Amino acid sequence: MDRNQIAKWFKEPSKMANKYSLHAIYFCTGCGIIEVPPVITARWDAERFGVIPVATPRQANLFLITGYVSVKTLKAIIRTYEQMYEPKYAVAFGSCPINGGMYWDSYNTIKHLDKYIPIDGWIAGCMPRPEAIFVAVTHLWTLIDKGMANGYERYKKYYRAYRRNQELALGKLEWPPLYPIGEHTEGGECD
Amino acid sequence: MVGRILQFVLYPLVALAIGVFFLGLARKITARIQWRYGPPLVQPVIDMIRFFYQKSVSHGPVFAVGLIMSLAGSIVVVLFLPFGSICPLSGSGGLLVVLYVMLLAPMGIALSGGQGANPNISIGISRKLILALGYEVPFLLVLLTVMTHYNTISIVQVVEAQRDIGWSIASLPLFLSGVSYLLILPAMLGFRPFDVSTAPQEISSGPLVEYGGKYLLMATIEHALLLFIDIALFVNLFLGGAGNPITFFVKMLIVFVLVLFIHAAFPRLRIEQAIRYLWKWPTALALAGLIIVTIGRS
Amino acid sequence: MNPQLILLIAFGGAFLTYIFGKISSKLRDGAAVAISLALVAIFACLYGRRLQESFYWGFLGLNLSFRLDAVSWFFAIAIVSLGALSIIFSLRYMRDRERTDFYYSMMLMVNAAMLGIVLSSDLISFYIFWEMMSWCTFLLISYNQHRALDAGMKYIIMSIIGSVAMLAGILSLYVSFDTLLIPQIASSLATASPGYVLFVLVIFGIAFGIKNAIMPLHTWLPDSYAEAPSPFTAVLSGMLTRMGVYGFLLITYVVGGMIGGTGLGSNVLKFNYVLAWLGALTIVVPTFIAMLQNDAKQLLAWHGIGQGGYMVLGIGFGVATANSLALAGGIFHTLNYAICIVLLFMSVAAVQYRTGGVRDLNSLGGLVARMPVAFVGALLGISGLIGLPLTNGFVSKWMMYKALILEGHPFLAFAALIGTWGTILSVYKFLHNMYLGQLPEKYKHLEKSPFSMQLPIAVLSSAVVLFGILPGIPLRVINKICTWLGFSSLDVTIWGFTSETGTLNTMNLLAAIVVVSAVVWVLFHRAAKSVVVAQDDNYAAGAYVPKDKYHYTAGFYEPLFTMLRPYLRDVVDEFYTALAGSVRKSCGAVRRIYTGDVGSYVTYIILFLASLILVQLRWRPW
Repeated sequence: MDRNQIAKWFKEPSKMANKYSLHAIYFCTGCGIIEVPPVITARWDAERFGVIPVATPRQANLFLITGYVSVKTLKAIIRTYEQMYEPKYAVAFGSCPINGGMYWDSYNTIKHLDKYIPIDGWIAGCMPRPEAIFVAVTHLWTLIDKGMANGYERYKKYYRAYRRNQELALGKLEWPPLYPIGEHTEGGECD
Repeated sequence: MVGRILQFVLYPLVALAIGVFFLGLARKITARIQWRYGPPLVQPVIDMIRFFYQKSVSHGPVFAVGLIMSLAGSIVVVLFLPFGSICPLSGSGGLLVVLYVMLLAPMGIALSGGQGANPNISIGISRKLILALGYEVPFLLVLLTVMTHYNTISIVQVVEAQRDIGWSIASLPLFLSGVSYLLILPAMLGFRPFDVSTAPQEISSGPLVEYGGKYLLMATIEHALLLFIDIALFVNLFLGGAGNPITFFVKMLIVFVLVLFIHAAFPRLRIEQAIRYLWKWPTALALAGLIIVTIGRS
Repeated sequence: MNPQLILLIAFGGAFLTYIFGKISSKLRDGAAVAISLALVAIFACLYGRRLQESFYWGFLGLNLSFRLDAVSWFFAIAIVSLGALSIIFSLRYMRDRERTDFYYSMMLMVNAAMLGIVLSSDLISFYIFWEMMSWCTFLLISYNQHRALDAGMKYIIMSIIGSVAMLAGILSLYVSFDTLLIPQIASSLATASPGYVLFVLVIFGIAFGIKNAIMPLHTWLPDSYAEAPSPFTAVLSGMLTRMGVYGFLLITYVVGGMIGGTGLGSNVLKFNYVLAWLGALTIVVPTFIAMLQNDAKQLLAWHGIGQGGYMVLGIGFGVATANSLALAGGIFHTLNYAICIVLLFMSVAAVQYRTGGVRDLNSLGGLVARMPVAFVGALLGISGLIGLPLTNGFVSKWMMYKALILEGHPFLAFAALIGTWGTILSVYKFLHNMYLGQLPEKYKHLEKSPFSMQLPIAVLSSAVVLFGILPGIPLRVINKICTWLGFSSLDVTIWGFTSETGTLNTMNLLAAIVVVSAVVWVLFHRAAKSVVVAQDDNYAAGAYVPKDKYHYTAGFYEPLFTMLRPYLRDVVDEFYTALAGSVRKSCGAVRRIYTGDVGSYVTYIILFLASLILVQLRWRPW
């Protein structure tokens, strides 16, 4: 921890603490999850950067989506994302959540995850190496510093559109909307 | 008078600092034993700052009140424990009161979790209470042995008695009790192999599953104080307390590192295996100690 | 105000209530409440007075007499206050039931009979009131018909056994000493042989042990508590069962009171040690059996037995070692337990009233949102039963533990302490399954409990906290009881005790907890805000759990049960049931002889005569 960081700690404790205490809830959706065990165990040890896996979205502030997203999983992802509390960051891992990847023409897989929940960072590749997760984390730090990791704000702002996309993919949702869907909310497709 | 008030204010803070330090140390040492580098020692503090600023969900008033009660109970217990020569509330009830105020912490968590209406919470609390019943049997036997041996219910007097005749753990009947206490210490602290109630992989960390933000902050503080309380009680009862806080801290550190070695190396037991273990060896040792002390007295 | 007049008011009130009930139900309710409150007022005014009165009425040539002293006042004020609160509670609970006139007059009658017991100063009137109480209780337990009839039958059979034992004891005392006045018996027994004293102790011990449900004699209690109407269960558990404790105090006085606890014979000591160990057994086993129960009232009933063990332990141990701390603890626990258990039964009754009689713990839940007052009552009630600091149960348990440890009986102390943990597990299940956890959809729109139910709950809740913070209030009276029994006086202050070996100061404790809670609350308040969410919005691995699909708390302590269930059978009850079965069978066999046919009776007579003739011819005995 260098000296100018200490000044930052006093200036913006919440932002700094958020940076250095990323508790990740990771979703064992697809093949990407195989890269997570090396990351958190002895070989790469993510805990030195304060990144540790936790068991529930209530305690987490980082949502790691590892691999392709089937329609059925999407439901669980949305539910989990909505149960996390602000500030929260979502990072998609692998090329499948970006554009469908090798499942781009599958009838049962979501191609653009960003349509359904806001993603703050992407890790491209099939598979990305575990080091890529650290690159992503350092990038996320920069984004948090600059205030650009604001997916949760986007979600709130365009909630109506997100909700509509979710309903288009999943049909009727069982749970009530997270935010009130008023008339004044900005409509339209979001990407 | 000012000194006394200062004691009241500073002592819980010191206890909290030690507890949080232990939390960090636990993560660091576990990491080193597992051949990892590990997080910085201040990582728990960073986490707690984040918890403070993060939003959270509440499931109703009892959800908060239970936690407040739990944390308040823990802090009050700290005030009853001698820390070196500092003991703000020594004259208000002794070990029996400590024993009962210690109930507030698990009861508060149980109440608060109860309103969460989450299946994992129900399972976690049920396991927590069963485990507590498991380790309370040897724990109560150990405390009764100490109280009967020194014929007092005041911790301060137990510490004073040891100043003259040496550490309790070095004398024969209390040696058995001391070993028994060490054997149940991981269970009391919720460390492996006894972390059934907060098992993250099985039941999504049990009673903590709905806690986020400030709720998690309070649960973390409560856990830090629990580390302090259980180990300080052991040091006071068996390792002769200490004349000054520094020695006391060193003694606590040694006991804690001992427990950590077990924590880092063992897998988790199932709840009934844990109960079976707790009601077998620690109970047998504690019972033997109590019988010897009772016979020696009469 | 002399004792006869009080009893006249009490009994007269019971009859008047019945008559008023025939006129109008409002009048009856008013009369019942007025009479019970009047009795509370009367006894409140009589604080600290001593009365001794011979009854103008001889009975079989014996003087009947009444008295009022510290111990009778202590029990009487508890009886009338809890009775009054139960009557107020009944107003709504019983409103739409049938035979309410009978119910109210019986409630008042039970209260009056209990008053008679604690006020009587000779054994004959004691016995008469005792029987009156037992029979009224039987009628009230069986009030709900069906299963309640069985429970009532079980109760009355056990009760009759106790009464017969007591009657035998009374007759024997009368034959030996030619008097039944309690003070005279006490002075005569001081010179009696040790064997006779032991006989008296055991025979009265059986009588009071059955009433107080000590371990091998407890089997009547769970069913009776569960099946009686809930407001009456409150009275039954709170004071009526504890007449056994009063009885134990009385025999303590009779055998040891006049000789100051120092010259007690070894038999008395042995008896009291046995009593203390029985008390310890009574603490441990029932509290663990309570964990297995899924019926709210059954669960509390088993605690009724278990907590009775604490009282017996305290009193028995206190007498055995001449330790007034343990004795006072036992007596104080009687009061504390009465307050807590009445509170708990009322809280169950409030839930029953709103949910239509549901008391199955596996089908309730989440009611804290709908019935906050009942929840607070239940919370304080269980805290008192556990003995959390700042509740009344804490002080009495602290006294007993301290005495047990310092007198060098750690195993008795261990039984009492581990009983506390059994209590925690089972009462947490009680609270959690009723008030916390999921709120079922069908109870989403329950109304709050009515005011006449909230009032008694609020009064008792504040009593739990008040006696926990200022234990000196009741302990002053208890101290007088101890000195009446010939024990040394305690160092009681308003907020606890002072002594060399360990002091108790509830004020410091209160201050510490309040200040610390305030600090924690401020911290809590300063942190980021939290959002209140619906109960079904919780994390279940990303899945949405449909409402009412699962009940998470059924089988709450399953892992422990599978371990303990083989050991936690109520062996005694099974034995009694088997005994009753074999008696019924043998009676059935006897009944077969009485065929009702004249021909067979003639055959019996002829056979009998023939056998007589045969005997005469063969052996010629006459």
